[in-house]
Amino acid sequence: MKLPRLLLPLFGLLAAVATATPAYDFYICANINRNYVIGSKIVTTNGIFQRTDEGGWRHFGYNDTSITAVAFDPRDRNVIYTTALNGLWRSLDGGATWRICNSWDMTEGREVAVDPNAPDHVYVAFTDGIAVSTDRAQTLVRREHGLPERGKFTQTIKVDRTRAGRVLAGCEVGIFLTEDGAESWRRVHATTDTVNDLQQSPHDPNIWVAATQSAGALISRDGGLTWTPLAGVPTERALYNVTFDVTNPDRLAIGSWAHGVLTTEDGGKTWTSRNAGLPENPRVWRVGVDPAGRLYASVFQETLFHSDDFGRTWHPNDLAGSLVNYFFTLPKAAN
Amino acid sequence: MKASPFFRSAPALLLAVTLAAQPSFEGPAPVVTTVPAEDQRLAAYHARVDEVLQWRAGRVDLNNIPGTMDMASISILLTLGRDIEACNERVLQMMAEPGTGPFWMFPAVCVAFTGRDLLSPEARASIREAWRTTRQLRGDTENHWVMYYASLYLMSELYPNEPAETWYTGRSSEENLAEAREWLIHWMDTTTTVGQGEFNTTHYIGEYAIPMLFMATWAKDPAMKQRGRMMLDWMFAELATVSLNGVLRGPNARSDEGSVIERWNALASYFSWLLFGNTPPPAGYGGWGLYFAPVAKNYVLPEVIHRIAVERDGDYVQRDRARTRRYWRYSDELSPPVYKTNYLRHDYAVGSTQGIVNDVIQAHVWDVTWREEDPRGKHPTMFSLHPHSSGRMMQAQFATYPEPMPVGVTFEGKPSYDSPDKVLGGSPYEMVFQDLDTVIALYDIAPGERFEHINGFFSKDLRDVTEDASGWIFARGGNAFLAYRPLAPYHWIPYLHYNGGWAKVRDDLGGRVLTSPHLKNGTIVQAASADEFESFEAFQAAMRALPLEFTLEPVPSVRFTTLRGKNVAFTYGETPVVDGVPVDYSKWKLFEGPYLNAEVGGRKLTVTHGRLQRVLDFNTLTIKDSVRE
Repeated sequence: MKLPRLLLPLFGLLAAVATATPAYDFYICANINRNYVIGSKIVTTNGIFQRTDEGGWRHFGYNDTSITAVAFDPRDRNVIYTTALNGLWRSLDGGATWRICNSWDMTEGREVAVDPNAPDHVYVAFTDGIAVSTDRAQTLVRREHGLPERGKFTQTIKVDRTRAGRVLAGCEVGIFLTEDGAESWRRVHATTDTVNDLQQSPHDPNIWVAATQSAGALISRDGGLTWTPLAGVPTERALYNVTFDVTNPDRLAIGSWAHGVLTTEDGGKTWTSRNAGLPENPRVWRVGVDPAGRLYASVFQETLFHSDDFGRTWHPNDLAGSLVNYFFTLPKAAN
Repeated sequence: MKASPFFRSAPALLLAVTLAAQPSFEGPAPVVTTVPAEDQRLAAYHARVDEVLQWRAGRVDLNNIPGTMDMASISILLTLGRDIEACNERVLQMMAEPGTGPFWMFPAVCVAFTGRDLLSPEARASIREAWRTTRQLRGDTENHWVMYYASLYLMSELYPNEPAETWYTGRSSEENLAEAREWLIHWMDTTTTVGQGEFNTTHYIGEYAIPMLFMATWAKDPAMKQRGRMMLDWMFAELATVSLNGVLRGPNARSDEGSVIERWNALASYFSWLLFGNTPPPAGYGGWGLYFAPVAKNYVLPEVIHRIAVERDGDYVQRDRARTRRYWRYSDELSPPVYKTNYLRHDYAVGSTQGIVNDVIQAHVWDVTWREEDPRGKHPTMFSLHPHSSGRMMQAQFATYPEPMPVGVTFEGKPSYDSPDKVLGGSPYEMVFQDLDTVIALYDIAPGERFEHINGFFSKDLRDVTEDASGWIFARGGNAFLAYRPLAPYHWIPYLHYNGGWAKVRDDLGGRVLTSPHLKNGTIVQAASADEFESFEAFQAAMRALPLEFTLEPVPSVRFTTLRGKNVAFTYGETPVVDGVPVDYSKWKLFEGPYLNAEVGGRKLTVTHGRLQRVLDFNTLTIKDSVRE
């Protein structure tokens, strides 16, 4: 299916959310193969799913159990990038065909991000560092000047939507920032364990939040230059990811294997466990919020749950046995 | 006797096979002899290969093709030129639902090449189509990549000049070939300069040997063909050198719950049997071993390696270097060095690794293994370990979060990983030193670790186990005398056996585990041949007389005069000292011993036995045989 070009930036559209007809497309990367091991036949459908208008999930692209993240070219929805076990994959035809973009010395892609202000530029987090493309992933090269020789396991990478070439990366030893398209990096916050997720507020681009393995959640109010702990978020166990609610600037949610779902509705001043209604001791792999404000929680090898009251009550959604690695929202493509 | 095929990473790929009519598995253990005449060696080798081929072909039921034909049997039938129509039918069925990843890729390569002149155009096209439609995962482990890239290389050569859209990679045949070639050469360079990451593996040896045999047989590029051949020699020379009567013992970069105890019951024994004829093959010829058989006759084992395996004049020490699995996190180096010591005698062997944990889940760091003329069903080994289980170590070597893997891997062929009584796996709290047949293992376990004790394995096959008032525990294993000295109080628990990595239940076959619930801990083991003493009591008396001092605080520390008269001082966290001289690991060669020698960085292995010598030189891609006058 050939999709038309997308001309409007994501966050401009998200101001008009929660209308009767969703003005967005919502994607997940999910692994539904509970017993898969390398080499065995895949007996379920895995990879990228798009939510349908009826609330179901439509799979497209390869049946790949290892996809960790997805990104789109904001100019052309047919240009899709995914990180996966083999590295970075790119499709130019809406997911019908794919090409592996990296050389053998890059492996186990963790996350991919496209610069909305320079859409040919693609940033990829790998187990041993960061690679960048300036030609829509036709070529991919390492750009690690300023990263440490060791400690550059990179779990997450996000582009600042306000300025081309400004990128934050979550690594083993801290949060790193580049302001020149990864020509150089500098550490803006040190950690002793991996920074698992970084998110820029859809409401205020100067606000960023990080979920870390052993330093709890961190917040930056100056575009990622300085970071302080978010009080009330536990630090003794790993936080897997964090998400904003685009419908409400005071709402955030955190997903954690140990803590389940944590939410705040006062901008991070207080946090509440929202596990009632989820399986006992929920091992939450990811949380996500769609632009209508529906909160999702992927519980490890259980199913995907959703909540329309920000975690007070939960409902099984679909995708039994799933593991959602990624939630991603785009302005809705025109038919 | 319990037996199991070795279905490790992808059990669904292999069909269940029965144990009937496997002559060498069921028959008496082979008598180990040197076969000096090349034609006789080759004839015996071919007879063993034919045994495998005939057995597997005989398991095929044409009335039950889906249930009895996997890709190994298809390849074997094609090799034998039999039942081609059934092969066509089954290939079409299997290619309609391809697997994903290296454990599917190399069997598919085996079918593609053995059937390239025999399968129907439709069947061949279905194989080719599967390489377009189904994304193949490269995996995250050295053996995965060897299988993946050897397979991609060969398929790209088989189908040259084909455009990007005809491959799952989205790259052309030439692009695939270039990437695969580059990585394979990189891997060989690494292995021949700083060592293999998955060294002396009880099972994964097949995942290296089979792709290398395919390269040696089917690569069009003569250089890659030669590289494959040379890597086979390299790996089999090492197997010959470190195995005891055909049985690969510790240390092992990776083993599994079954073979770490029943040491013979491993895929490595299939290769020893097939190549050296010095031990029985495991049941089902090791499962994956079936993929070696169809093309096994394209490899000829050099006489010098044959002799290392079956003809040893005396005791020897082999000191080698290897490297760890990749550390993505929590290490100053990506793949730090590992230092191996192997001391082999007629009646037993002692082996260990020194250095950082080389594989977080399946490493087997040290043991004493004694010789059993028929090793089937025997547990001829003794060792201790800290049963380490942690998310942090998982995160060090895998792209994962701290919590999922310690439990997750127990469903993925590593069932004991998170068990307190496990007997497999490395620990960051264990330090080992070995001098000849003495091993000192020290433990300084951090408080709060998941398991705050150590386990020592005491086999059902030990005899005369005696807990002596001196603190030593004496025992006999085969024709070896063994002395085990726990450095902290202990108690006994039953040993429950997993019959392999995919075992679902544990069997009480006998044996015990010495469990010592103390953070500061240690084990000393001394082995000797029964032939060295007038009696078991004399051995015990000799051991009691050896000077031994140790302390556990502030860290475990031992001063011990070994049975061989060496004064060893070893303190946890410090360099061991022998006869007043600190061990200098910086001078450790890639291989150093009477049989294998190589310099770090050299890309050249010299294999020696008596007057025979073979030099594998990866700098020039030459094999040079010589005979000393």
